[in-house]
Amino acid sequence: MATVTIKNVWKYYGETPAVKDLNITCPDGSFVSILGPSGCGKSSTMRMLAGLEHISAGDILFDDQRINDLAPKDRDVAMVFENYALYPHKTVYENIANPLRLRKASEDTIKARVTGAAKLLEISHLLERRPHELSGGQKQRVAIGRAIVREPKLFLFDEPIAHLDAKLRAHMRGEIKHLQRTLGTTMIYVTHDQLEALSMADYIAVMHDGELQQWGTPAEIFNHPVNAWVAGFVGEPAMNFLTCDIKGQGDDVLLRHSNFEIPLLPGQVRQLNGAAQAGTARMGVRPDALSISMTRPDEAAMQGEIFVNELLGGDMLVEVQLDDCRIRVKTTPEFEGKPGENCFLSVNRDKWHVFDAGDGHAYF
Amino acid sequence: MTDVSPISANPRAVAAQIFRARAHSAEVEARPQSEITNRPRSFNPPMPKRYYYYLMAPAIAILAFISLYPFFWLIVMSLQDVDIGGGEWVGFKNYVKLFSDGRFLDGWWLLAQYSVMCLGLQVGLGVLLAVVVNSSKYEKYLVTALLMPMMMAPAVAGLLWLFLYNGTFGWYHWILQSVGILDNASILASANTAMYAIVLVDVWQWTPLITIIALAGLKRVPRDQLEANMVDGASPLRNFFAITMPNLYPVLLIAVLLRFMDNFRFIDSVLVLTGGGPGSATKILPVYLFEVAFKFFKLGRGAAIALTLLIVTIILGKLLVRVFEKPQNEKG
Repeated sequence: MATVTIKNVWKYYGETPAVKDLNITCPDGSFVSILGPSGCGKSSTMRMLAGLEHISAGDILFDDQRINDLAPKDRDVAMVFENYALYPHKTVYENIANPLRLRKASEDTIKARVTGAAKLLEISHLLERRPHELSGGQKQRVAIGRAIVREPKLFLFDEPIAHLDAKLRAHMRGEIKHLQRTLGTTMIYVTHDQLEALSMADYIAVMHDGELQQWGTPAEIFNHPVNAWVAGFVGEPAMNFLTCDIKGQGDDVLLRHSNFEIPLLPGQVRQLNGAAQAGTARMGVRPDALSISMTRPDEAAMQGEIFVNELLGGDMLVEVQLDDCRIRVKTTPEFEGKPGENCFLSVNRDKWHVFDAGDGHAYF
Repeated sequence: MTDVSPISANPRAVAAQIFRARAHSAEVEARPQSEITNRPRSFNPPMPKRYYYYLMAPAIAILAFISLYPFFWLIVMSLQDVDIGGGEWVGFKNYVKLFSDGRFLDGWWLLAQYSVMCLGLQVGLGVLLAVVVNSSKYEKYLVTALLMPMMMAPAVAGLLWLFLYNGTFGWYHWILQSVGILDNASILASANTAMYAIVLVDVWQWTPLITIIALAGLKRVPRDQLEANMVDGASPLRNFFAITMPNLYPVLLIAVLLRFMDNFRFIDSVLVLTGGGPGSATKILPVYLFEVAFKFFKLGRGAAIALTLLIVTIILGKLLVRVFEKPQNEKG
């Protein structure tokens, strides 16, 4: 159990920075997810935490101990690798026992811990097998078992369920979350899958191009993204963006598009704070913050033409052609519009966002 | 997911089918094993079996001429007392006599010593060098430099070392004498040191082969396993023996097999350096065989020695494969 502090950490590969001035504090016992696309520096960060990669600049602290110069074996962390990294010439039992053997634990302790972990992960019947006789999901559990037997200070999970099929992945998400709650050990979980991060983590660190974009709880990240990049990366189906003009009209501020003119809510006018009074901005709205109808609900509604309908089981996703751009709307499967027909969209203004047209930071 | 349809004659269709199967690997995994192995075997239309034999016939004919025919005559010769004019059947007398031939038995003992020393040093040094080279940023240059001894004809290497060992102007002789290890006796002329001298030449020339092969093996060692073991708490040395070595076994098997068979056959440098002497100190079995067959022209006895050498080589080779294959099999 440890609080992990990453202080002004940089990672260079030759001249190329992979991680730029990263600052993260993971509270003791929390489940932190580092989220980002490939090449964003999340794996480098994890490897620096594990001691597999040299820290170019900055400090990493476990509680108050600076661990920059400690060898991996002295850091007391356990890591689960993307490809499981099981030892093929050892049985499942020996794989799980390996960290204990390397620490010269007694045979009784090893037996107790391994059987305990196997029971927790429901792999007791596999202990005598070798890794090549296991399915992906089973290998995954063995890898986790190897991590938990040692009762380390910190768990590092590097995209551990990325190679499982969709159904098993959904199942393992719940299991890993439950496991972390049961053990109460700080866990850092690297993933490129925003759904995994949102559904499992207590806190998410969103990274892009080596920089931390946003730190927050899943709800904060989802509901209040700090910039257009985070807004676009988190959430499935992805947020719609429309480039609009901002126009003052009396006391109101309007977002004007060739297709519509919608006033901001009074609180949002304050948040805009005159910054972009008379310029362009990007409006962002998630598909579920829009509603679609075949008749004009009010004056402010946008008018467009249905491009395609996608039925997603419990929901329907409708893509609407709005002048020269397309936006996606989530609705119920009962929606009866057909492609080519005219339709009207209205926005839930509590849930829309306006981003700066230049650097993309969010006004609200 | 589509079922695997019967083998199509159209390669494109087959390729597309394989591609589709890969794209849906999750489903592929879920299907029963029998369907997965039922992959298209070949794009060629089936061929009557006799054509295979027609196609192989030239190769077999050449092989028979250069290899099988002499082998057959070797067996015949080993059962005869051969003279220039022809042979006279003597049954197994050649073989029986070998067991009372002191130099034949000594030859085996010396060959065993020579072989074990060569292999031990070469594998140890070779793997060590491979690890050093692998972690060096000058890898390419080191590999080039290491390859040089191997490029040399063994007889030339023998000649080179003959000069280095020379009692009058040899550099090694001088150095060993300077540090007081050697008295006035020449390295090659002393029964105590001659064996080590010929081992050193073999090690010098052939360690690079083991290095190159081990280097190729090192490249295949899965990095994530090494890292996992490190995080689990292993020291670098422990990591090497727990992860790297088991992954090296299969390639080392090939290297050791090659070298051990070479040691049983290649005597170029030994002939140049000592010719089996002083006395019989370095008369390893193949050297003795050479003497019997081509110096004393006892071709019948020579053939008998050669056959025993062959049989022992085969048996040892099989044993080696079995010993080395074990960890590999466990890997599955």
